[in-house]
Amino acid sequence: MFKKKHNRKIFPLLYLFLFILLTTFSVTPAFAHKVTIFAWVEGDTIYTQSKFSGGKKAKGSLVTVFDTEGNRLLGGKTDEKGEYSFKIPKKTGLKIVLKASMGHMAEWKIPVEEIVAVQASQNKTPEAGVISNTASPSNLAPISDSTSLQREEIRRLIDESLDKKLSPIISMLAKLQDQDPGISEVMGGIGYIFGLVGVALYFTNRRKKL
Amino acid sequence: MHISEGVLSPAILIGGAVVTMAGVAIGLKGVDNKNIPKMGILSAAFFVASLVHVPAGPASVHLILNGLLGLILGWKAFPAILVALGLQALLFQFGGITTLGINTMNMALPAVICYCLFGWSTKSSIKQTVFITAAFCAGFCAVLVSSILVGFSLYLTGEAFLPAAKLIVAAHLPVMIIEGIVTAACILFLKKVRPEILMNS
Repeated sequence: MFKKKHNRKIFPLLYLFLFILLTTFSVTPAFAHKVTIFAWVEGDTIYTQSKFSGGKKAKGSLVTVFDTEGNRLLGGKTDEKGEYSFKIPKKTGLKIVLKASMGHMAEWKIPVEEIVAVQASQNKTPEAGVISNTASPSNLAPISDSTSLQREEIRRLIDESLDKKLSPIISMLAKLQDQDPGISEVMGGIGYIFGLVGVALYFTNRRKKL
Repeated sequence: MHISEGVLSPAILIGGAVVTMAGVAIGLKGVDNKNIPKMGILSAAFFVASLVHVPAGPASVHLILNGLLGLILGWKAFPAILVALGLQALLFQFGGITTLGINTMNMALPAVICYCLFGWSTKSSIKQTVFITAAFCAGFCAVLVSSILVGFSLYLTGEAFLPAAKLIVAAHLPVMIIEGIVTAACILFLKKVRPEILMNS
């Protein structure tokens, strides 16, 4: 008898909860409250893209760049599109920290290998150019010089076209970075809460009997 | 309004955790099997509410429902909000585990304050207009106090208080109004259909 009455009492709350759940999934696609930053190396520049999950751009947010030892290298603010870019300050692993308003923070790490690989190919190009310039008037070894020049040229062209070809993939990765919580996470969380209710009821009931 | 990990200094994190622990201890005192299902369902509602997104200001804001939890649960809002925020941190990566204490305090303390200020209205049989106004104010004030608390926690870590708090309060103004309406509607619905739920908290 008591049990039945108790169950009936809870029903309106359950309806209320189901109503909120329904409005969540019908009115808006599950939106979240989190900020993410995504950074990639292109040439000698590092590009960053910041946004709140849900796709809203993080405008005018503070971006700070640290090296691996935690020293501050440089900083700036994101523009209207939530983007911020800077030249690679030095050859080290970088930690890029984004501070958006209201206590939101995110970070992105770029390992040293990525920066070194890019800079190595960059540094070689002018050197090869200098060598070929000084060597060409003398005409001592025109064939080997021209092949090395071609090699550098080809490398540069490949780098350029790769950057171009990869940019859609990079932006896709940036999008994947902030996936909204899906229905499985939501249901999982609700399941946890109801499970906890069950455990708590079990213990309070046992306490009563003892 | 979830504060991310690494923003606040350790002293504030510990302070928030201590307040939360005290609140949870008070909330769990005298819990019986009448209250537990109520706490569970409201905790689940709080858990889901943060996915209802309201586009406003420079950041994104969402429903909070801490006023509703406070009105119905009183001090028991503390454990309910702690569970919901913990699951949000684990499953959605909102906030974080280290900031769980301060985040719970920022959400649950206003709930308790609203319970102290407006809790009387749900229990007595007063005029409906007064009752609805009180419920609206509870929903409104809970978010307002939460915003101020978040601004204050940021201030303690070195951000200037007034601009930070102003920004947060301004961004949450639409949420406050929506919260007030939702809270009033929910309480009115419960009062009509099953007033006992409001009585025995």
